[in-house]
Amino acid sequence: MSDRVPIRRGATWLVAACAATTLVLAGCSSGTPTGGGGGGGAAAPTDGTLTVGLLGDIGQPPDPDVYYANNGTAIMINAYEGLVQYANNTDTVKIAPRLAEKWEVNPTNDVYTFHLRKGVTFHDGTPFTSAAVDVAFKRRIAVKGGAAYMVEAVKSVTTPDDYTAVITLNKPNTAFLSYLASPFGPKMESPEGLKANAGSDDAQTYLSSHDLGTGPYQLTAAQTGVKYEMTQYDGYWGQKSPFKKIELPVYTDESALELAFDNGTVDTIVAALPSSSLDKYASKDGVANYFLPTLQGALVTVNSSHEFFKNADARVAFLKSIDQATLVNQVLGKRSEVATTMYAKGMIAGGADKQAISYDAGALKAYVAALPPNAPKTLVIGYANGNVNAQSMANLVVANLQTAGITASAQGYDTSTVFGWINDPPSGPDAFIDGNNGPDGGDPYMWGHVFWDASGGINYFGCQSTEVNDLLNQALGTGDTATYVKAGDLYGQTGCFLNLSYNKDWVVAQKWLTGVAESQNVGANELNFSLLGIGE
Amino acid sequence: MTSFLARRFSTAVLILLILSFVIFLLQSVSPGDPARAYVGANASPEMVAAERQRLGLNDPMLERFTRFIGGVFSGDLGRSLRTRQPVTADIATYLPATAELVVVAFLIALALAALYALSGALRWPGASVGRGVLLILATAPPFLLALVGIIVFFGQLGWLPARGVGDFQDPGPFGMQLVDTLLHGQADAFLDALKHLILPAVVLAIAPAVAIGRVFRSSLQGVLGVDYVRTARSKGLSETRVVMHHVVRNAIGPALSMAGLQLGFMFAGVVVVEQIFSWPGIGNYLAASIPVADFPAIAGVTLVLGAIYVLSNVVVDLLQAIADPRIAAE
Repeated sequence: MSDRVPIRRGATWLVAACAATTLVLAGCSSGTPTGGGGGGGAAAPTDGTLTVGLLGDIGQPPDPDVYYANNGTAIMINAYEGLVQYANNTDTVKIAPRLAEKWEVNPTNDVYTFHLRKGVTFHDGTPFTSAAVDVAFKRRIAVKGGAAYMVEAVKSVTTPDDYTAVITLNKPNTAFLSYLASPFGPKMESPEGLKANAGSDDAQTYLSSHDLGTGPYQLTAAQTGVKYEMTQYDGYWGQKSPFKKIELPVYTDESALELAFDNGTVDTIVAALPSSSLDKYASKDGVANYFLPTLQGALVTVNSSHEFFKNADARVAFLKSIDQATLVNQVLGKRSEVATTMYAKGMIAGGADKQAISYDAGALKAYVAALPPNAPKTLVIGYANGNVNAQSMANLVVANLQTAGITASAQGYDTSTVFGWINDPPSGPDAFIDGNNGPDGGDPYMWGHVFWDASGGINYFGCQSTEVNDLLNQALGTGDTATYVKAGDLYGQTGCFLNLSYNKDWVVAQKWLTGVAESQNVGANELNFSLLGIGE
Repeated sequence: MTSFLARRFSTAVLILLILSFVIFLLQSVSPGDPARAYVGANASPEMVAAERQRLGLNDPMLERFTRFIGGVFSGDLGRSLRTRQPVTADIATYLPATAELVVVAFLIALALAALYALSGALRWPGASVGRGVLLILATAPPFLLALVGIIVFFGQLGWLPARGVGDFQDPGPFGMQLVDTLLHGQADAFLDALKHLILPAVVLAIAPAVAIGRVFRSSLQGVLGVDYVRTARSKGLSETRVVMHHVVRNAIGPALSMAGLQLGFMFAGVVVVEQIFSWPGIGNYLAASIPVADFPAIAGVTLVLGAIYVLSNVVVDLLQAIADPRIAAE
């Protein structure tokens, strides 16, 4: 007989466990669904708060001279304003007024004169005048963020009066307006505020959780990795929305973000959900889907430093083996269309920059068949970790390579690793698929330079042509479209690059949210919250 | 006891030095470029190279390691390349939230472990079912448990939030919402903070609860059969009194040791849980720093987590030495 004697309590084990974990405490403590309830088709908010779900943190401090990533541009373009912006609600690249009402460019493209809007105030209450332009440019240089290049060519800023700024460049630059219109372009910051909060780091500490802009919303809370909050600026010069507050909670998991949207906790999600969720929301009641134009695309970059891709014939044969239509239809879906040009859609008028490489299922098979038996036939196709669409496309490309007699595999890489390849191209994969990437702005130079010039930033494997770089630099001074087209044609012949698709911003929103298309432009990839509204 | 303490602390310092060196070794062979994190994804190679030089990333590894260790002793862990703030300031911001989560999870783990052990050792009704459920939950990876929790308690039932902390704008003093809301007399905010805490804390607590519970149960079973327990019963003491006064006190040692280890593990395991629940702690901070190779932040957090782990083990050793002086004498 056992010495142990059972202790018989009134409570069962499970009840005790519930008490111990306090799970029931919260479950029973509220009769109100935490999510706000409602599912797709949730009612419009009555407290003036719009909740925009973020997938992942914004990644860097929300300082306009530091921020150079993607997830936080909503904060940038709503807290700050530049002199110009891209026109909203159009798929063409067109510069539109913002803090400058009009401007002139001299014939040699090196003097830009801006006539500034009157009656604008910064969030600290001080008036916006032309003096702020030089202060903003100088801070950008001092802070040394990634987009400091946009003002490096500024020779001087003169201010004939409070509402005129004359910017003189070191050399002609037809992309300068695009720099200023970019979401990463120089934004106007309160000179008084910068001075008062300068500290020892040019106000970087202050601007990591506050803002000094002129935009429709003020940054009122910044909890890295958790949430950001913006509050409507009462003194804003332009249109105001019914949303007094914008909450931007950070979700790290797509399914949790979708759940939050489905139960009405989140009102809209901008360009964050994978294409695999398209079908779910296409048929969901109470939900509106928007597919808005951008300068972004899916891209293939080939590593010419690897043995298999040493010669252009192999690279071209590989790119020809990629069935763009299948990838776009099966993976990207409605949020993309097959790219037919070397530059982003709409950058070159009339699509004169036609991409020469087109699908040819037999090209790679024929190339491989002609190789010596002992030639290397193993390829690794890379994609960025966390990019579900790129991973799916890489898997499809790998499957296709197998049919061509190549031993292929797909592998994910962290972004820090991806950007390290330029220092050692052989350490990278044989080819890399970008699910979504694009230039800082809409000028063709900004596309050609970043993707084709080894010094551009996103030419991962450093495959470049001196002739192409010269043509791009030449076109930068003149703005000549034919030169840009020629540069594109020549780079296409290297076989190092394929423009796979034109991507759109897929915005999923509760149906009552209005003004979505009108609040977006090709450069921003985000919504101007002041132009949103509440419909019936 | 003094020499025992000196031995334990010198070992702890040595372990942390080795840990720091391993981090630097890993960085030197890692293909990631920390300078890229500083200037942003689209910066030109020239700009990245200039920043690499300025940040001292081109210096030999030993030189950087010596500089780092020198900084540690003066309380300087460098500056985060991502947030551009001192790492010590970042850690001071995020650590309280992690501590709050881990402490609550630890308390839950202890409670569940006690139930696991007592229910099994004392054959409560339904004990095997409860243990089975806990074992099944403990075998699931934390991220899966977290996702299931979110789907059930947020998505389906709407009882608990899926992410973040409460809406309370914490003015301090501790940076822990539960404590600060109580100090400020904000009952609603306290309840809100508690609701945000429950899911991540339970997810974090399950595996340690089973680990501690199994050790405790085994220890209980051993003690229940010894002579002095029979003697206590024969004296007519109630079973509750026998268990609480004679069994538990004598069986708790191994469980205490395991609990100390699990506390350290919980600080390490908090990364995944914080990330999934967007909990504003150092785990989330670390998870955001890794993909962009923010090395100062990674090294700083690893050092702090390592120190917590080592310290918790030293405390356990100390408690055991107090309970059994023979350990200190060895």
